This record gives sequence, C-alpha cells and structure tokens, in this order.
Amino acid sequence: MPKSNGLPPGTLILLILRVVRQEPLHGYAIAQRIRALSSDQLSVEEGSLYPALQKLLANGWVKAEWTTSDTGRQVRSYRITAKGLKQLESEQDDYQRMADAIAAILQST
Amino acid sequence: MNTWFRRVWHLLNRSRRERELVTEMNEHRASMHDPSKFGDTHRLLEYSRDAWGWNWLDDAMQDLTVGVRTLIKSPSFAITATLILTFGIGLNLTLFQMIRVGLLNPPPVRDADSWVRFVRASPHSRTSTVPYPLTQFVKDNSTGVLASVILEYQSGMGWGRDAGEQVNASFVSSNWFEEIGYGAAHGRVLGDALDTRAGAPVVVLSHTFWRNRLGADPNVVGSIVYVDRKPVTVAGVAAAALPGLDFNVPDMFVPITQREYYYPQSTLLRSWNDEAVDMYARLAPGVSAAAAREALRTTMQAASAEHTQIKNDEWLEPLLAANNFMRDDERYAVLAVISLLGALTTLVLIVAAANLGNLVMSRATGRVRELGVRMALGARRSRIVRQLVIESVPVVVMGALGSLAFATAAATAIAALGGFPPYLDFSIKWGTVMVALVLALLSLVVVGLLPAWKIAQQHLIDAVKDGGQNVSRMLDRTMMRRVMVVSQVAGSCLLLIVAGMMVRSVQRAVASSAGFDYQRAAVLSMPLGRYGMPVDARRSYWYQVKERVLANPEVEAAAIVTAAPLGGRVNETNYNATPGLRTMTQSVDPEYFATMQIPLVSGRMFSASEPNTVIVSRRLALEMYGTVDVLGREFPVSAGGPSRSAADEAKLRADQGTIVGVAADAHSIKVDANDVAELYRPLKVEDFGEVELVARARTDADRLLPILREAAMQDPRVIPSARAMHEDFDRHMQGPRIASALSAGIGLLTLALACLGIFGVVSYGVALRTKEIGIRVALGAQQPALLRAIVRQVLTPVVVGAAIGIVLAIPTGMMLRSEPFYLENADPIAFGAALAVFAAAGAAAALWPAYQVLRSNPVEALRHS
Repeated sequence: MPKSNGLPPGTLILLILRVVRQEPLHGYAIAQRIRALSSDQLSVEEGSLYPALQKLLANGWVKAEWTTSDTGRQVRSYRITAKGLKQLESEQDDYQRMADAIAAILQST
Repeated sequence: MNTWFRRVWHLLNRSRRERELVTEMNEHRASMHDPSKFGDTHRLLEYSRDAWGWNWLDDAMQDLTVGVRTLIKSPSFAITATLILTFGIGLNLTLFQMIRVGLLNPPPVRDADSWVRFVRASPHSRTSTVPYPLTQFVKDNSTGVLASVILEYQSGMGWGRDAGEQVNASFVSSNWFEEIGYGAAHGRVLGDALDTRAGAPVVVLSHTFWRNRLGADPNVVGSIVYVDRKPVTVAGVAAAALPGLDFNVPDMFVPITQREYYYPQSTLLRSWNDEAVDMYARLAPGVSAAAAREALRTTMQAASAEHTQIKNDEWLEPLLAANNFMRDDERYAVLAVISLLGALTTLVLIVAAANLGNLVMSRATGRVRELGVRMALGARRSRIVRQLVIESVPVVVMGALGSLAFATAAATAIAALGGFPPYLDFSIKWGTVMVALVLALLSLVVVGLLPAWKIAQQHLIDAVKDGGQNVSRMLDRTMMRRVMVVSQVAGSCLLLIVAGMMVRSVQRAVASSAGFDYQRAAVLSMPLGRYGMPVDARRSYWYQVKERVLANPEVEAAAIVTAAPLGGRVNETNYNATPGLRTMTQSVDPEYFATMQIPLVSGRMFSASEPNTVIVSRRLALEMYGTVDVLGREFPVSAGGPSRSAADEAKLRADQGTIVGVAADAHSIKVDANDVAELYRPLKVEDFGEVELVARARTDADRLLPILREAAMQDPRVIPSARAMHEDFDRHMQGPRIASALSAGIGLLTLALACLGIFGVVSYGVALRTKEIGIRVALGAQQPALLRAIVRQVLTPVVVGAAIGIVLAIPTGMMLRSEPFYLENADPIAFGAALAVFAAAGAAAALWPAYQVLRSNPVEALRHS
C-alpha cells in the first residue's frame, strides 16, 4: 500500500467509502470531493486513490461500472455495496473511538 | 459474491482489468491541472496488484519459469532426475494398483455387499466346499435369510470331437449370470427357466476363450460343440467384463443341473459326502452375515438329523465379498506380505529421493553466490527457500507423471505375464492419482524443501565475498548430506540382500528338484469317479492301465501315486514332535521311487501287502528322531501332549506304521518350500478315489503323452489327460523366477542409485578441495594417504548405512519366510554376495573421482588461482 500522504493509516479507505455513500462517483470526482469536503486541508496524492479503490473492489465493498462523465469522457464510477456500508459503519465507529481516545489523552494535562 | 471467488475471477481476467485500470488512471491524470501530482502509474499499478493478493503467485510463476529454464539448460540432469523419481514413485504406484484391484475392491458383481461364500466349518476343521444336496437343502430351508444360492464346480473337460484338448469348465447354477449381473456378448447366458436338468444341453463360452480359441466367430452361437465327447449347443458368449468369484474366469460355463448328461453315473448331485461345490449366496435384504450364520445353524442341525454325513456341531461360515471371500487369517497373511512389499518399495522411493536431494544440493551449492547476491539485495530467507523449492517442482511433476505411465505399463505387463482375466481393471483411477500426488509431495520435501532449508540457513551474504567457497564447504559437510548417503546405502543394501535371498530360494527350488527327476516324467490323470465306478473297480482299472503303459518299450517305469510331483492333492500334517515342519504324505506304489529316481538311503521298499509300513524322508527322520538310523521304529514318534479330540486320536492311529526305509529328500510337492518333509505309505483301496499315474520315459517325456492317453482309453467313456512334468515345473517356477528377477533388477537399480550418490558426494568434495589437494601433492603427500583423506568423507556414512541394511534384512527375511517367498532367514550366502557386490560397486564409485583428480596433476590447479 502507498504511504498515506499525511493521512492516518487506513483512513483513505474510510474517506472513499464515505464520499461514495451518497452517490456513485468516478475516481477524479472522489478526489475532488475529498478535497472539497476537507476544505483543501487533506492534499492526497491523487494516484494513491486507485490502489485503495482496487482494495475496495477486491473486498466487495464497492462495485465499478463504466459510464460516460458529464464532460463526455469514459470513466469508471464506483457504487457502494451493502457490504461496503456495513464496513463504513464499523470503520467510522473504530475511527471515532480512536479519535476520542487520542483527544482524551491530549487534553489530559 | 464470495471474496475468494471474486479474487480468482480477477486473476482470470487480470490483463483486461489492468488495462482498464491504466486507462482509468490516465484519464484522471489528463483531467488534472497539475498531472505531476498524480504519482507514478507503474508504481500505483504494482500497489493495485497487491490489493488483489496475487503477487505471491507472480513470484511463484517467476521461480517456476527459472526452474523450467534451468532444467532445459541441463537436460541430462532433467532426464536423470525424472527417471529416478519415475522409478521411485512408479514402483509404489504399481504395488498400489495391484492392491487396489486384488484386495481393496470386492469382485465387481451386482450388489457385492450382499454376497457371501459359505464354507463348511466344525470346531476342528474347515472345508471350503459343500456337498451339492446340502446346498439345495439350505436353499429350500432358509427363506428370509438368503436371497439366492449360487454354485460353482470347476473341472477340467475334454474339448473337440476327440476330446484332445483340455479346457477349464465351470459347472454353475443357472442363476449365475443373473446374480453376478452380466449378460451375454452374443446369444444368451444361462437362465433359470431354460437350463433345467431336462432342458437341451448348452454351454456359455467365456469371452476370452471365444476370442482366443474360436477366433471371435459370431456364428458360433447355436452351433454344436463337443465337451467331453458329448454334443452340446453353444447358447452364447459371456460379456468380456464378466468377473470371476475367485479371480478365475473359466473357459466355459455349463449348467450344473445338466452334469449327468456328461456323466450319467456321477454322484455329484446326489451324494452327501462325495464331491462338493463352492457355495456362494446373496443375503436377504437387512440380514447381516453373522445373523445368517446363526439362522443357518438351525438349518444345519435339521440337515444333520436327516443325514449322518453332516455332524451336528457343523455350521456354515460366511466369508464376505468385501474381503474377496478370504478368511480373516488368509487376509492378514496377504496383508502382512503386502505391507512388507510396500515397505520395500517405499524404501526404493526413499533411496531415490535422497539421491535426488543430494544431487539438487550439489547443484544448488554451485549457486550460493547468486543466492548471496539476492540476499544482499534484501531477499528474505523464506523467499530463498521458496525459490529453491519451486525450482524443483517441475522435476517432481514430471516424475509423478512418469510414474503414472510406469505403473500403467507395469500393471499391464504383469497382467499379461500372469494371464489375469480381463475383468481385472488396472487402469489409473483417482485413488491412484491421489497416491501419486502424496508420494510426489513427500519427495518434494526431500528433493526440494530439505536442501533449500539447509542452504538458506547458511551465511549466504558472506558467499558474495569469497565466491561461495566457505559456504559450499559448510554445506558439503552438513549432517543432512551424510544422512542422505546413509539412507541410500542402507536401503540399497537391504534391497540387495532381499533380492539375493529371493534368487537363492529359486536356486534352492531348482536344486531340490534335483532330488527327483522330473525331466523325463509325465503324469496321467483320469477322474474315474465321474463315471460312477466304485472304488475297487477304479483300482483294477488303474492297474490295467499301468500294465498297458509298462508294455510300451518307450516306458522305463510307471507308478500310481495319490499326488504326483508338482501338483495333486496332498495330505499335510504338522506333527507335534516336529514343530514348524510340514509333512507331506503321499500314498505310492513301490515303483514310485524308481520312476522318480528318488534313491533309498537305507532300508527297503514296502510292498502293497504291508499296510502299516512307511518310508520317511531323510529330513523327517532327522527332525523327528534326531538320526537317520530309524529302521524298525514306530512312526510317528509318540508325541507328548494330549490329543484334542477323538477324531484326532483316530487320525493318529491311522497314521501309525513301522518305518521300513529312509528315502532321500525330494520336495516333489512343494519344490520351493523350505519347511517340508515327505512321508510315503503304500496305496490302500480307498486311495483310488483320486490317484494319478507317473511314468518315466526312456528318451523323451513328450513321447509318453499319447502312450498314456491311449492306455487310459480302454473304457470308451474315460477322457484322460496327460502332461509332461517339466511343463508343470516351468509353470510352477514361473512366478518365483519372475519375482526374483524383478527383485534382482530393483536391487541393482537401487545399488546404481546409491553408487551414483556416493560418486556424487566424493566428486563434489574433490572439486571443492582441488586447491587443498594440490598443495598437499606439492608438499609431497603420498597417493594412498591422499586417497584415504578424500574417501574418508563417505566412509562412515557408507559403513553405517550398510550396517543398518544388514540389521534390517534379518527381520525382513524372517517375515518373508513362508509362502509365497520361502526366504531363508539370515542366509549367509545371500548376505555375503549382496555385501560383496555392494562393497565392489561402492568402492569403485568412491575411488573413481578421487583417482581421477590425483591423475590429473592437481598442482596445476594452484597456478590458476
């Protein structure tokens, strides 16, 4: 797996699952969406999306299909599956617990 | 969709999927303002592959490609390795095929689970055959227990208008084909409704007989043929796959109810004590064999109440088809022999694998530098092990495939040589393939894993510095290499000794046959009982025939005997005074000794008018009395220990007699047995129920055959058969001869493997130490001292291996002592011969490379480095 550019390990998958939850998106759109939602704070090396997406595909968390984009390009858009939704929930919970724990430690002094 | 399935699907469509991914990434990149922020697509593609988890497969394929490539580059190694494994695994597979067909599978009859064979049993005896009327009595009185009763009575009969040829006929119950579940290839088979006692006489030919003797003529159905000179109609030809119940398929089937058509006076179908048939049955649904035995006890008691020939303590013991109708003790005896053979063939595989493992290790040590470089570049040890193991996979796969071919060819050859009936199916089944796979995996461990693991354990990175000298030397001296040499030497020594013992047992059989002269002898048999002659009439008929035979000038001598040498029914007794010795009793004419050229050691012949006299063989005298000076003593020597029953007591009394002569040893009945002795008694009237005549020719035994037949046909009903004794001898010795030739072949091949192993180890050691040897030569070391130093490396393992082989050979010989191998335990000549052969070959294998290097002036080697 690529080194996460500033992202805590494993969170890229969480973020992708989160942004494709509402609607099927293609790779470029996913990258755009993550950047927009994080107010440009998370600068992901955009290519590293693809190995992560392959992992999602391999685990059956998303499904991909070829469509034509708004700009008329051939793109592959990714749709979250039921299994993916379940995974998203559990990862979100894990992340929340971890973040709370870290925050608790940081605020303890 | 299952995750695994998805991954496999991805693997199958990988190139398309990867093309799509690259397209997708390129599109993405093109849409970006600053494409350089996308990252390297090649690297990303590699990471993406990781996500699917197939990278290990790519690595493995790479290693496999390397393995195949190295094999192609060194074809001699590839061929040698494949042959070694083909031989090692193939031998085991052949044995497995034999076991599968002969022991693990019941005869392929319809509903085999319900089949049993009934033998007649009482507390003291067991008889494999049952009187025909009893089978009918049981059939009629066992409703609900037996679904059907199937009978067979095998018998030799004359074929052709003049009955000039002998064929094997089976008189069978007319439900035979229906119950076994096979129909006809042509015409019809026997059937209950058609083939009754009063029906038109018919035969059904076996497929093999029809093909081999009648040229597969389809018009034979409906034609008239002559069996024992009686015209009968051929009803049909049985299916080719028709199985036999005792591994035998006769030449033809005759309805047993029509037996009296051939022999109007035969008592077979009526007598409660005379001749007897093999009785098979199918159990009624839901009845177990044990339940059937208990239920039939009542039936047997009812039979006993009506017929005195059936004792009231007798029962019918069922033997299961699942056990091939074998008794448990027979089965265990067969299993014991087979497991021992299995152990020996496994040993061959161990020798083969160890040999190859050694070879692989020698080859790999030449590559320590390459492996060192790989490790220096960051490969892990496990990766190196994996690489080396995978590289040996192609060799093992080829060996396994070769072994399947080997097993097929070997089983076919054995079936052809042994004349097995065609229903025995030796084709490769899944079970065989599984065994081949398991054996291949085991050899992969020895050939691939062990050497790889040993090599990866070394400090491979250091090998980069000194070109691998040190590591190679370390590997050369590992324990494992020595263990491999030990196992090869031990295995081949043991196999050589066993082979030696087998050859010796054949030699002994040939030598003991020198105790009687079979070369110029022939045997005449005529089953007079079939024609309803009373026993005393048979006696006078036999003596008339004997006189006619003796009247011919070609005949030197003739005698009547209950069991002609190399065949015939013989009475076998184990006397208490001679434990472990089987005494074969024959009743003979006094002229028997002259006819067979068995000399009398002392005493005189008995005459026919001295019923209570016996002649013992030398060995019997020695073992029973401790001396050959036994004339006038009582036989048998009064044995200690109580007799078991009144029946035994009566038998013992009947056995008694005064010794009038001692004959030389002549293992005429069981020529290859080592635990037999002979006892001869004069013929009594009741012996003439079943006797034969042996004659001795002045010139050639084959000339006797027409003379004997002619003499026997005084009564036109009688259809005699005559055979030269040397044919019997050759037939009898064929099995042991093939077995000993095979074992000698296997022994020599493993010896060759072991020598190859020793040769490999020494020559490799020499190659590593050329420089050292050069220095020692330059410093003036003497050749013998150098040779010793070089050979020392293999000396200990070879000696240890040979010692293990010898020690293991003793129990092996003991376990193969009885039938069918008759090995001598710890036969010193076999041991000595095997060791001498081994020592010579081993020394040559070890000294040759050492001698080579000394001759080639090793000082030269110093100048180059």
